Amino acid sequence: MVISPLRRKVLRDLRRLWAQVLAIALVLAAGVATLILGNGAYASLSETRAHYYDQNRFADVFADVTRAPRALLGEVAEIEGVLDAEARIVKLGLLDLPGMVEPGSVLFVSLPETGGLNRLYLRQGRLPDPLAAREIVVSDGFAAAHRLGPGDLLPVLMNGQRRDLTITGVALSPEFIYALGPGQMMPDPRRFGVVWAPRSALEAAYDLDGAFSNLVLKLAPGANPDRVIEALDRLTERYGGVGATGRADQISHAFLDAELQALWAMVRVLPPIFLLVAAMLVNMTLSRLITLEREQIGLLKAIGYSSRAVAQHYVEFVLLIAVVGIGIGFAAGAWLGSELAQIYARFFTFPYLVFTRDPQLYGLAAVITLAAAVAGALYAVRSVVKLPPAVAMSPPSPVVYRKRGAWVRRLLNLRQTGVMVARHLMRWPFRTASSTLGVAMAVAILVASLWPFGSIDRMIDVTFFRSERHDAQIVFGTPEPLRAVFAAQDMPGVMVAEPFRQVAATISHRGREKTLAIIGRPAEPRLSRVLDAGLRPMPMPQAGLILSEALAKTLQVRPGDQVTVALQEGRRSTVTLRVSALSVGYMGLGAAMEIGALNRLMGEGALISGVNLMIDDARAAEFYAAARTTPKTELISVTSLMLSRFRATLAENITVMVTVYVVLAGIIAIGVVYNFSRIALSEQGRELASLRVLGFTNREVSGVLFGELATVVLLAQPLGWLIGYGISAAMAASFSSDLYRVPFVVERDVFAIASLVVCAAALVSAWAIRGRINNLDMIEVLKTRE
Amino acid sequence: MPDASDIVFRATGLTKVYRSGALEVHALRGIDFQARKGEFIVILGPSGSGKSTFLNIVGGLDRASGGQVWFEEHQLTALDEGQLTQYRRDHVGFVFQFYNLVPSLTAHENVQLVTEIARHPMRADEALALVGLQDRANHFPAQLSGGEQQRVAIARAIAKNPEVLLCDEPTGALDSATGIKVLEALTQVNRAVGATTLVITHNAAIRDIADRVIRFADGRIVEETVNTVKKQPSEVAW
Repeated sequence: MVISPLRRKVLRDLRRLWAQVLAIALVLAAGVATLILGNGAYASLSETRAHYYDQNRFADVFADVTRAPRALLGEVAEIEGVLDAEARIVKLGLLDLPGMVEPGSVLFVSLPETGGLNRLYLRQGRLPDPLAAREIVVSDGFAAAHRLGPGDLLPVLMNGQRRDLTITGVALSPEFIYALGPGQMMPDPRRFGVVWAPRSALEAAYDLDGAFSNLVLKLAPGANPDRVIEALDRLTERYGGVGATGRADQISHAFLDAELQALWAMVRVLPPIFLLVAAMLVNMTLSRLITLEREQIGLLKAIGYSSRAVAQHYVEFVLLIAVVGIGIGFAAGAWLGSELAQIYARFFTFPYLVFTRDPQLYGLAAVITLAAAVAGALYAVRSVVKLPPAVAMSPPSPVVYRKRGAWVRRLLNLRQTGVMVARHLMRWPFRTASSTLGVAMAVAILVASLWPFGSIDRMIDVTFFRSERHDAQIVFGTPEPLRAVFAAQDMPGVMVAEPFRQVAATISHRGREKTLAIIGRPAEPRLSRVLDAGLRPMPMPQAGLILSEALAKTLQVRPGDQVTVALQEGRRSTVTLRVSALSVGYMGLGAAMEIGALNRLMGEGALISGVNLMIDDARAAEFYAAARTTPKTELISVTSLMLSRFRATLAENITVMVTVYVVLAGIIAIGVVYNFSRIALSEQGRELASLRVLGFTNREVSGVLFGELATVVLLAQPLGWLIGYGISAAMAASFSSDLYRVPFVVERDVFAIASLVVCAAALVSAWAIRGRINNLDMIEVLKTRE
Repeated sequence: MPDASDIVFRATGLTKVYRSGALEVHALRGIDFQARKGEFIVILGPSGSGKSTFLNIVGGLDRASGGQVWFEEHQLTALDEGQLTQYRRDHVGFVFQFYNLVPSLTAHENVQLVTEIARHPMRADEALALVGLQDRANHFPAQLSGGEQQRVAIARAIAKNPEVLLCDEPTGALDSATGIKVLEALTQVNRAVGATTLVITHNAAIRDIADRVIRFADGRIVEETVNTVKKQPSEVAW
């Protein structure tokens, strides 16, 4: 095969300019990789979820009741739009594993009926015999954390009774893809597991003969969930129903949604940044190449090559760079995809998670990338087409500089070399601006990836050190008389005990409503406090309600407004209360009252739902053991364990995430700075060599070029901070949901670290170019005309 | 015989060999040379005779393969890269065929470029006045004619008050009228500053303005003439 001379020139140019080509290709590759990674992970996660939900008949509506007769199920199934309804028993139990000091809990769920909803995916063993009283299936993550398998015994406390249950199998369920235990912030498979047991066994253990405590509904396609929920709430009201929820509020589903939302944000933000920067780099580099090859272009045209053929030659050069970038991007995207799948595997338990290698996605990424590269080339190539051969073959007209900004020079007391730097930068304002923007994008990516640390610290500080200051919390199965506080006070290791009351209620204001738990606290709480905007603890109002800012925003309520409160427990009375103040908080939505006032509303006497405790660390183990065996205890949560799990999980993932982002930002910074300096050197090589002849040292001559780089990199910092701040603010807003609110805090060190990383990348580029400056040929420049 | 303290340059047995693969090119084949303070020397010779190589080694831009060159008490052939840079900075003024001005700096600024780093510079406007360009001080090179650009280059070369002024084909790119102006500028600064001046040229007519003329051929000095009577540049037939 004969390769045409122009093709051969393309290949030689690529080899000659390999470093610049690679720098641009890497930026393109970062765009391709993030595009594939983000879209691929999004598609993989959402499709796997949809498929899993479908195969295992994941329910659409969920409702808890205290105790309802099984006969009610018939009525529920009659509700218009309900395709299938299943009554279940869902109850909390406590772990009683030898060798596990800290408290752990299990959620007992009655086994789905044959052909029922939320079917299990059996990973090991078999399902329990429906008639066996002590056979169970446990969730996969929990089994793995405790190395349990079929045949092992699991000692638990059910309704205060100790039992040894026999594991027959290990399973997964679409209901617990993100298995978050009650009161937990991060999945902790060691301290929380799901246990599926035959209905009869749970009926017996929880005194629910012929009754149920939970309903799951599958809706007919096109049915209106809100209407079904309304009808369902009317039916369950008598049986202690606290309001049904749709899928959107189901914990596991909601967390998956949050993850999908974050991925979607990444897909929208990162690839466009890389492609934009790459297009700018292509433009810069190709423009310079075309300027250098001006005479060759004239010659080619003079001997009969068409403008189109010459233009095509340069476009081919760019397309080959893009192809290199796409190749690297495909490999990196596929590799990062499998890494991400591993992270997902830690967080989400799917029976299968395939990272899709959809050829369409790869094709789309390639097309978008080629388009970006060609778009970057177009402006430069246009000049090739417009250049008449006769003009091209004569030397270019000299570059015209202007004298301006004399005040800057006086202000900075610039030497002539400084003036050279300033004039050169100002002579090509578009290149200077686009390089500055490119470096700024690297800073912005880092700011946007680093800011959550500060926010998480703020969340932890506010939540655990200012607001929820208790060491442990005991939640009772059913409300207990106030004297239970004294019993708690007498438990080993307890230093302070503070009661709380918790009542489900629907708060509404002008057509907007939200169902949540109103927490009753003592008038001057010490362990569980609500905070005002200045993070000062607030006393509980004798009358009226304190709402969290997030809830107030949802309901569009201001202090002083009246809200309607429909209590979902006890006599279910509906009252109007005044919003006395707003509080800050990041976990969930909050409504607080004075405990006495809440009990008066309920009219059931002085009852408490649980106690918050301050524990003597040295006696923690004794306390755990005692708390576990107290019959009333439904749940014990320990703040320090929750917090350490939270931090450990974040640390694991953050290391991966930050590494990836630092690499991405480094690629941009190195790519931009390296290309910028190569072009600046190519344009000014002659001047710099002349300076060497005049007796300027290598260091002084490098200083001229590095002065330009430094100016661009420095100008880019504040711009990058600003852009990064904007992206971060948008991220914070999009992450916030009813589950949690992300405080938008960008600590100063975020800006500092982002700038340091980018400056380090710039230094690497400067170092790479230093050899070329030191080897400038002084004699050569004296012999040649520019 | 001139007084030894009067000698600025002294070269003995100077050789330069360029190697390109197996090929060896002998650019200088043993040069012995001396120049006195304030002397104006014209170097003639065909292309490839070694005169530029000689000037580059004397100017500290290139290194010899053998022999020795002394500038006053410094042995240039023993200096390292950094010391050569310092030598150029402190003692040498260069003027080249293509001017090598910095396009982003005005005439005045191009001169200041050097005065800022020199040890005993004259004022930049003084240097420009010496070459008759005080009125064009604020023009960029692109706004000046070739002759004017070369005069800026001369002003830049002498502004540091150099001991030696080395000129490689300073009139090579200029027409005769402009060339004469440039030569006038060179002879005038040679007198005013007292710098030993070495001028390489293809143009044999220039020989008459020199104190001494040296002819290079095939890497050797083949002829040396002392002019008893020097002509003014304006008297030279071109």
